[in-house]
Amino acid sequence: MTQISNLLPLLIPIIVLELILIIAALIHIFRHKTYRFGNRLLWVIIVLCFQLIGPIVYFIFGRGDD
Amino acid sequence: MSGFTAFFKKEMIEYVRGYKALILFCIFVIFGMMSPLLAKMMPDILAHTAVNGITLTIPKPTFTDSFSQFFKNFSQMGMVVLLLVFGGLLSQDLSRGTLIILLSKGLSRHAVILAKYAAALVLWTVSYVLAALIQWGYTVYLFNRLSAPHLFFSLFCLWLFGAFLLAVLLMSSSIVGGAYGGLILTAAGLGVLILCQLIPNMDRFSPLTLALGNAGFMTGAANFDHAETSVWIAIALILLSLVVTLTVFKKKSL
Repeated sequence: MTQISNLLPLLIPIIVLELILIIAALIHIFRHKTYRFGNRLLWVIIVLCFQLIGPIVYFIFGRGDD
Repeated sequence: MSGFTAFFKKEMIEYVRGYKALILFCIFVIFGMMSPLLAKMMPDILAHTAVNGITLTIPKPTFTDSFSQFFKNFSQMGMVVLLLVFGGLLSQDLSRGTLIILLSKGLSRHAVILAKYAAALVLWTVSYVLAALIQWGYTVYLFNRLSAPHLFFSLFCLWLFGAFLLAVLLMSSSIVGGAYGGLILTAAGLGVLILCQLIPNMDRFSPLTLALGNAGFMTGAANFDHAETSVWIAIALILLSLVVTLTVFKKKSL
């Protein structure tokens, strides 16, 4: 286990990037009322539950036209 | 030419505003950081998951393992992300009818296609190079450097496969209608390529070799000459798809 804690500083940037994606998706979800399909609750759950894939799917398929 | 640059700029702006650039950069950079770490932690992870009391011992991970992990991530998840992000490359514009105004203002149809391909290629190249550089940096930091023959060639092969996918995507979007028609046809095409992999000696000609054999090139497990043939075939196919796209799109009624 010592090794994993040594690598922790290298893991932080990955977590930060994942958070950036999730937060960007959440901000977009709460700023817009219309989605191509689904509702707000569904998209929030998808973005929070599926790491990496959730935000991608939201931006590609769920995002309504501005 | 001015039409090309203007449309190219418009595409780039659209990638940034549509969060596509953000997605690609974040995901690919994550891959670049994660692969060496995963390779490094693999023995620890396996040591803690004892199966029925059997502890698995695997050899100490090396420089090559880190890159194998990178190629595995990129050839599977990376390509899925690439397809998803660029899925609506042309279809979305066609189904929304946003191109009609631009074309009636005198923008040439060739410029549209070429600018679209160039913009997608630039975004893919920049994000891929960034990921590869981060991967390189992390690997050199975490592992003892070994000589990995054909490392650059392996990286180039995967890049070329991405470029090939984009060209096929553009071609299928110009042939099939619907917002996701192009994406579906490309996925079907990939499925056919994967099936063709079952035919003996097919790896010599299939562009899929470029995405499957990368780790093998470094260890010498994959045939280098075969890979060279598929590089040329992939380049020829990219040019062919562009020509087909240009001809189909020229005659297409919008």
